[in-house]
Amino acid sequence: MELPEPVVDYLQSNFLDETRPFCLLLDDGYRVVESWGDNSWCGLEGVEPGADMRESAPFLVGLPLTVTQRFEFIETVGRAIVHAHLVPDGDNCYVVLLDARLAHAAQQTKQQSVNEHRLIHARQRKFIARQRELISELVETRSELEHHRREAERSSADKSRFIASMSHEFRTPLASIINYADLAAATATSANDVQKCVETISRSARHLTSLVEALLDDARLDAGQLELIEHDFDLHNVFDDLAAMMAPLAAEKGLSFATLIHPEVPGVIHADEVRLRQVLINVLGNAVKFTVEGSVTIAASYAAGRLQIAVTDTGPGISAADQERVFRAFERGSAREQAGAGLGLTISLRLVKLMRGEVSLDTVPGEGCRVSIDIPAAASTAPTVLDADMLTVPGVDTMAQKPLSVLICDDDADMVALIEHYLHRSGYGLIASSDTAEAIEKTLKYSPDLVLMDCNIPGVGGVAAARQLRERGYRNPIVALTASKLGSEEQSAFTRFFRKPAPMQELLTEIKRLTHQD
Amino acid sequence: MTRLTSKVCVVGDFAVGKTSVVERFVSNHFSAKYLSTVGVKIDTKEIEQPAFDVTHKLVVWDVAGSDEFGDREFAYLRGASGYIFVVDGTRPRTIEAVETTQSQIGERFGAAPSVLLVNKRDLLAEWGVGDELFESLSASFDGAFRTSAKTGDDVDDAFARLAQLIVENELRGK
Repeated sequence: MELPEPVVDYLQSNFLDETRPFCLLLDDGYRVVESWGDNSWCGLEGVEPGADMRESAPFLVGLPLTVTQRFEFIETVGRAIVHAHLVPDGDNCYVVLLDARLAHAAQQTKQQSVNEHRLIHARQRKFIARQRELISELVETRSELEHHRREAERSSADKSRFIASMSHEFRTPLASIINYADLAAATATSANDVQKCVETISRSARHLTSLVEALLDDARLDAGQLELIEHDFDLHNVFDDLAAMMAPLAAEKGLSFATLIHPEVPGVIHADEVRLRQVLINVLGNAVKFTVEGSVTIAASYAAGRLQIAVTDTGPGISAADQERVFRAFERGSAREQAGAGLGLTISLRLVKLMRGEVSLDTVPGEGCRVSIDIPAAASTAPTVLDADMLTVPGVDTMAQKPLSVLICDDDADMVALIEHYLHRSGYGLIASSDTAEAIEKTLKYSPDLVLMDCNIPGVGGVAAARQLRERGYRNPIVALTASKLGSEEQSAFTRFFRKPAPMQELLTEIKRLTHQD
Repeated sequence: MTRLTSKVCVVGDFAVGKTSVVERFVSNHFSAKYLSTVGVKIDTKEIEQPAFDVTHKLVVWDVAGSDEFGDREFAYLRGASGYIFVVDGTRPRTIEAVETTQSQIGERFGAAPSVLLVNKRDLLAEWGVGDELFESLSASFDGAFRTSAKTGDDVDDAFARLAQLIVENELRGK
C-alpha cells in the first residue's frame, strides 16, 4: 500500500531537513567519483573528485566497499555524529552520511542513565558482598569472643575458688605464727615452751614460704618468666635429702619408704637440680599424703642421656575422671579433705615440660599409682659442690678471721637486726643505712669490705646505688639481697645476687668467701 | 619510510575506561567525568616504528561498552587489523564480557593481534585482579598490561605492542 503523495513529500522533506544527507560515490580505490548534498555539517567541505576519502574520513579504513553496510552513531575525527550507509553499485560504492546529532544526544542521555544505574548496581553488589564478608567475620569474631569469655569466666571461677582455698591455707600458718609469737612474748612462758613456740613459728613460716613460692612459680610459668638453671650435681645427694624429708612422714603413717638408684645412673648429671627436687618433693609428698597403708618408693634409672624417675605408691589410685584433672591448676582430685593449694602437680608437670621432659601416670583405682618422669640429663664427669646445709644456724666455721665491716642498706629494721645478729656472731662489724643516699655516703666514707644492698629501697634504688658506687670508685663486693626479681642486666650491677628469704648459712658463707675469710 | 594505516578496535564492558584509555593515548589527557559512548568514536594517531621503518597511522574505533555484542556492534569491527580489550581491575566481572566477545570475534572475523588492558591500576585499594588471575588471562592474548588511563601507566606501551604485532602481521601477509 502506497502512501499518498503529499504525505510522502512531507515525510521526505522532514527527513532531509533533519538528516541533511551527504552522498559520495567512491571507486574501488576509495577515490571520489562524484558527490551530492550538504557537506557543511560533517567536516567534508572541499571534497574533490579523485581524492582518497580514507584521509578525510578515516572510518572508511578497512571497510570493504563491496558489501552493503550500515553504521549508526559514528563520531568522526571532526566530531560530527553520522549514520553511515555503504551501498555498492557495480565497481563503485555510494557512501551516504546522515546527520545523527539529535538522535545521538537523545540516545546518549538514555545510555548514560542506564550505564550509571548499572554502575550503581555493580557497586551495590560489591558493597553487599563486602557486607556479607564483614558479617561473616563479625560472626566469627563474636564466636571467638564468646569462647574467650567462657574461658575467662572459667578461669575467673578457678581463681576465685583458688583464692578462697588459699585464704584458708594462708590463715592457718599465719594464725599459728601470731599465736605462738604472742605466747613466746608472754613473760610467764618457760624457756622450754619458748623454744617450742619458735620451732612452730619457724615451721609455719616455711610452710607459708612454700605456698608463696608455689604461687609465684605458677605465675612465672604463666608469664613465661621461669628460667631453668642447670648445673652438675649428684643425684644420690638429692635422693638422700628426699629420704630424710619423706621417710619420717611415711613412718608416721606406718608406710615403708624406699629409694633406689640403678647402677647405670651417672654419678654426676647435668640438669636443674632445684626444679627437679621441687618436682620430686611434690610427687612424693602427694604419694605419702594419699597412701593409707603399704609403701612409697622412688627409683631412678638412666638411658640414652635421659633420666627416668618413677614414684610408686600403694595408695587409692586415681579414677579415670580425676586423671585429667589432677594436673590442672587448683584441682586436688576427689580427695578434697586434703590440705594444699592444688598447684603442686600442675607446676610439676609444667616444670618437667620446661625441662623438655615428660610425665606419665599409670594408675588403677584401688591399686596404687605410678608417676613416671623422664627428662634429658647429660652425664657429667665434673666434681660436684656439696650443698650448704640450708637454713641451719651458722657455726663457728663462719667466723671472720680478722675484723671486717659490712654495710647493709635495707629499710626493714627487722631484717637489719637479723643480719646484724649473724654478722656480729661471725665477727663482722656492721654499718647500717636505710636509704641509698646514706648508704652511698657511708660506703665512700668508711669503705666497708662488702656492701649488702636491698633493691626496693628509698632513694635511687639498690641497682642504681650499686652502679653509682662503682662509678665513684668503690671496688669491694656489692651483694644484692632483695625480695625483688632482677633481670640479668640489673643483676650485673652486683657481685652476687640473693633472693629473700635467702638461707642465712649460704649468705654468710658467700660473704665470708667474698671477703677472703674462707 | 613506509606509511601504514590500520584500523584498531577498542572493546570491553561499559565504564571500564575505554574512552579514557584512547584519550590518554591520542591526546595524553584524562577526564575523571564518566560520559558513556554511544555507537563508536573515531580517533587517529601516528606512531613511528623505526624497527620496521614504518610510520604507522592507527585509526582507533572506540566502541560503545557492552557486555553482549549484537550485529550493530560487530559491524563496527569489520576490517579491524587488531583489538584492544579493556577490563576494569576493580570489577573482575568485566572479564567475562571480554572473554565472550573475544571468542565471538574470532569466530566471525578470524584471528587478529590483540592485547588486554586491565585498567584502573591507580585504584589499588579496590583492585580485584590478583597476579595469578592476571597471568592466566595473559595467556589468551598477545600481550597484557595493567594500565591506568588516569596516570597513563602502560597505556602507550599497550598500543605500541599492538601496533608492532599488526606490522609484523602485515609483513608476514606480504
